Amino acid sequence: MNLATLAARNVLRNKLRSVLTVLGVAVAILAFVLLRTVIWSWTVAAEYAAKDRVATRHKITFINPLPLRYKSQIEQVPGVSEVTWATWFGAKHPTRDQEFFQSIAVDPKSFLSVYSEVIVPAEQREKWLGNRQGALVGESLAKQMGWKVGDRITLTGTIYPGDWQFDVDGIYTVKRSSLDKATLWMHWDYLNDSVSPRQKDQAGWYLSRIKNAGDAATVAKRIDALFDSQDQQTLSMDEHAMNASFLGMFSAILKAIDVVSVVILLIMMLILGNTIAMGVRERTNEYGMLRAVGFLPKHIGAFVLLEAVVVGLLGGILGLIFAYPVVEKGVGRFLEENMGAMFPYFHMDASVAALALLLSVALGFLAALVPAYRAMQLNVVDSLRRVG
Amino acid sequence: MTQTATESNQAVKAEGQKPAVIEVKGISKTYFRGKEKLDVLRDLSLTVGEAEFVALMGPSGSGKTTLLNIIAGLDRPSSGSVRVAGADLVGMSDAALAGFRAQNVGFIFQTYNLLPVLTARENVELPLLLTKLAPAERRRRAETALKVVGLAERMDHYPRQLSGGQEQRVTIARAIVTDPRVIVADEPTGDLDRESADDILKLLRKLVSEFNKTIIMVTHDPAAAESAGTVHHLDKGKFK
Repeated sequence: MNLATLAARNVLRNKLRSVLTVLGVAVAILAFVLLRTVIWSWTVAAEYAAKDRVATRHKITFINPLPLRYKSQIEQVPGVSEVTWATWFGAKHPTRDQEFFQSIAVDPKSFLSVYSEVIVPAEQREKWLGNRQGALVGESLAKQMGWKVGDRITLTGTIYPGDWQFDVDGIYTVKRSSLDKATLWMHWDYLNDSVSPRQKDQAGWYLSRIKNAGDAATVAKRIDALFDSQDQQTLSMDEHAMNASFLGMFSAILKAIDVVSVVILLIMMLILGNTIAMGVRERTNEYGMLRAVGFLPKHIGAFVLLEAVVVGLLGGILGLIFAYPVVEKGVGRFLEENMGAMFPYFHMDASVAALALLLSVALGFLAALVPAYRAMQLNVVDSLRRVG
Repeated sequence: MTQTATESNQAVKAEGQKPAVIEVKGISKTYFRGKEKLDVLRDLSLTVGEAEFVALMGPSGSGKTTLLNIIAGLDRPSSGSVRVAGADLVGMSDAALAGFRAQNVGFIFQTYNLLPVLTARENVELPLLLTKLAPAERRRRAETALKVVGLAERMDHYPRQLSGGQEQRVTIARAIVTDPRVIVADEPTGDLDRESADDILKLLRKLVSEFNKTIIMVTHDPAAAESAGTVHHLDKGKFK
C-alpha cells in the first residue's frame, strides 16, 4: 500500500456515486470526442494536402477567375513540372438539394497527371477522358447518391444555371488522403462551351506540381511575381494553405463546435468538483485522524487531487471506449457513407483521443483544486470533533 | 533543552520515581467566541512519568479534551510550557509538531476513525507510510501490532466486518505500530458495551505494564477511570 493506492481505493468508497461520476465524465468525453472529430474531419483534408503542389488563385478572392492563358506562363516558371486548372462548378442534385457535395470542372488529362493519387480503373479512365459529358465521381459520393458507372444523371447548376446532364464514367478512390473521395469531377470543356462569351476561357485556380516539395514557397513567389504587373494578379500558396483558406468559409461553424466541446468539459469539471467536495466534507473526520498521526496538509491535498485524477482518468478511458465504436463503426461510417462530401474522413484520430484523455485528467485535477485547498486548511482539532 | 530534560529526569529518578514523559507547567488556553472570552484551561500543571496510566475526568467543557490535545501536540496552549518525550512543543512549527506526533504519540479515538476502504492491517500500516520503511517491513510491523491486540486472525477484514470492540483494537494497534512513548485516548470505551470496554481497558493496562507506554485517557466512565493508575478530575479548566 502507498499514498496513491490509498487515494485510488477512496474512489470506491461510495460506489454508486463514483460510478455515476465516472459515467458522467465518460459521456462528456464521448461528446467531446464526437465534436472534436467533426472539427478534425473537416480540417484533416487541409492537413493531408500534397506537399508537392502549389495552388494559384486570384489575388483578391478565390471567387474571381483567372485567364486561361496564365497556364502556359506558369508552366515556364522554374521549379514547375506540370500544371492543371479547375473551376468551381457548384452543382446540386435537383431533388436532394440539401446534400452538399463538391463539383469541379477540370482538364481531365492534366488533372489525372497532377493528382496522381487518384485511382480509377483503366477502362473507366479512358471512357471519362473521351466523354465531354463524363463525370468522375468519388466512391463516397457515389455511395451517398446511389450512383453507378453508366448512370445518366442530371444536376442543377447554382453558379451556371440550368440542368446539366452527365454520364457517370468512372468511380475513383485515392491512394493518399490528400484528396477526398466525395467530389464530382467534370470536363472543363463541357462547362467552357456552355457559358456566355464573358465567362469563357477562365480558370478558377491553377494547380502546379513542383519538382522539389521543399521549394513550394519559392515557386509560389516566382508565380506571383510573374503576374505582378498584369491586370489580374495572383496569390499562390502550397496546397495546405489553399485548403485552409477554403475552410475559412466554415470557420464560424468550426469555432462554435470548438466552444461547445470546451463547454461540455467545463460542465464535467464542475460536476466532478462538486462530487469531490462532497467527499471531502464527508471525510473531514478522517482527514483529522490522518493529520493527527502525522500526515501533513500536502498529503491531504495530494489524496484529494489524486482521487479526482483517478476519477477523471477512469472517465476518460471509459469515454474513449464508448467513443471508439460510435465514431468508427456507428456515426462515422454513417456519415462517411451518407454525408461523405461533408465528412470524407470521419475517424477517431489518435490526437483527438490523446487530447480527450489528457483533458479528462487535467480537468479532474483542476476540479479538485478548491476542495483540496479546503481540506488542507482544515484545523486538526476541529476536524476530529466533526463526526461524519 | 535536552540537558534540562535529562537533569530533570535524573532529579525525579533520584527520588525513586519514574522519569517524567509529560511535563505541563502553568498552561492556560483561551478561546474567543465572538467577543466572549472562554478560559478553557487556567494555569494548569501536570507531570506524568514513564509507563503511567492517567485518566482525566470531568464534566463536558471542563477542558479535559483540550488538555489531551495540547499534550498530543494537536493544539497549543495560550501560555505555559509543555514538554512531551523530551520535546518542547510550544516552540515547534506545525510541520515539526506533525513529525513529533508521528514519532512519539499514538492516538485512540472514541469513533475509531478507521478508513473503511482499508483492511485492518492496512489501517494499522497507515502511520508507517510516513516512514522510510520498506513495504515488507511495514507489513510485518502492522501484523505484529495486530497480534499484540489479539486480532491476528482478522487482519484482512475490513472495518465493516469487525465488531466495535475489534475496531477499537485495530485503532490501538494503529496507535502502537510506530512504537510511540505516549498514547492519548479520547473516550476509548465511549461507544462500546461493558464487556468490550473491559477488554479494551485490559489491553491498555497491558500496554503500560508490558510495553512501558504512557497513556493519557479522557473518559466519562468511572469504571474506565478505575483502570488507570491515576485519575485527575478537571472542572472549569483546573484540577479539583
